[in-house]
Amino acid sequence: MMAAMSAHSPHRFTTVSRAIAWAALSAATAAAAELVTGTDPEAQLPFWEWREPGMSLRLVQRLPDQSRAFFLARGFSRDDVELIAGSCVFQTVFKNLSTADAPAALEYDLRDWVVHAGAQTRGMKTREDWAETWARRGVPQSARIAFEWALYPTRQVYNAGDYNWGMSFFDLAPGDAFDLVIHWNQGGERRTATLEGMRCAPDVDAAPGEPL
Amino acid sequence: MNAAAGGDTLRALSRAVCCAVALVTSAPAAAEVPAPQTLHAAQTPQPAPDFELVDLDGALHRLSDYRGKVVVLNFWATWCPPCRYEMPSMQRGWDRVKDEDIVFLGVNVGEDTDTVFTFLADYPVEFPLLFDEKAAVIEAYPVTGLPTTYIIDPAGRITHRAVGSREWDDAGLLAELRALRRAP
Repeated sequence: MMAAMSAHSPHRFTTVSRAIAWAALSAATAAAAELVTGTDPEAQLPFWEWREPGMSLRLVQRLPDQSRAFFLARGFSRDDVELIAGSCVFQTVFKNLSTADAPAALEYDLRDWVVHAGAQTRGMKTREDWAETWARRGVPQSARIAFEWALYPTRQVYNAGDYNWGMSFFDLAPGDAFDLVIHWNQGGERRTATLEGMRCAPDVDAAPGEPL
Repeated sequence: MNAAAGGDTLRALSRAVCCAVALVTSAPAAAEVPAPQTLHAAQTPQPAPDFELVDLDGALHRLSDYRGKVVVLNFWATWCPPCRYEMPSMQRGWDRVKDEDIVFLGVNVGEDTDTVFTFLADYPVEFPLLFDEKAAVIEAYPVTGLPTTYIIDPAGRITHRAVGSREWDDAGLLAELRALRRAP
């Protein structure tokens, strides 16, 4: 059956073999999945990274002062900037690491992700949520454009080799601890992972050389 | 059933499984390796929305004026780390194919000329950088994050997409661009 399909439909065979490769990969995924934590070498701030065959998601703390500087320079008022800086911001890097040999599209929607902080369970604050906030507060268009594109996209489909960066908002106070439950689809399979023990960056006022 | 074909099938399947197992066993290192230089091909190429934007010198660029050439259309911003990362390789890639009917256009989203002019002191770029200050052009394309790059064939159709940075002087990527010049 497979040989006949191979002889008469090479494209279909390629698709089947890629699907089998992806299935074998995902079958072994549970054992290979891991949460890695440490200090991001570029930001010099704590990161949490979930790795599985075919994907990685890294969340790096951003200090409130970094957010203040970035958004003040893009036309936000001091009041607006304080709202952003106090909302628990992480730099987010999500990669589809599947290869041309076994490509598997990856799809996520931040509105499916769940934040557990103490007794609270909530969703993330997305581009769409912020757009309503800025419309209410009458933020200038140039600032809103910068904000929209600086944020991590709410929904995205990554093909093999695709990845993206952006800021994510957890709508918690500086220094708060939380667990993050993430969901994504890859190769037709729904995946879930929990990043435990995450913490929002503290709002510090350290002198040069002092520990944060 | 053809026995030879069956043997080929088994060999191909075992290669696929081996490939998958190799990926699994190397998983912890996988996040460290550079992303593969892939372009995602559109199943059905669609017409690229036309636009008119000015460059740093105020010269007007209309996408449809590049009909008959392959266009690499990159949406970017100076504050976006992967945008900055890929800019030098875009310059090198453009330098290699600029005389081969392949055009690179960088569309800056939401920033002004002063900001980009300052950026160019650290990232010298010679291909046209256009200004979409009100984000009207990016809204016409199905972009959700920066950088996103579209490849447009000589007939004005979007044939490929890349989300995130690439090494644009990669020989394989440039070969794909060159091959598109012959698209019907």
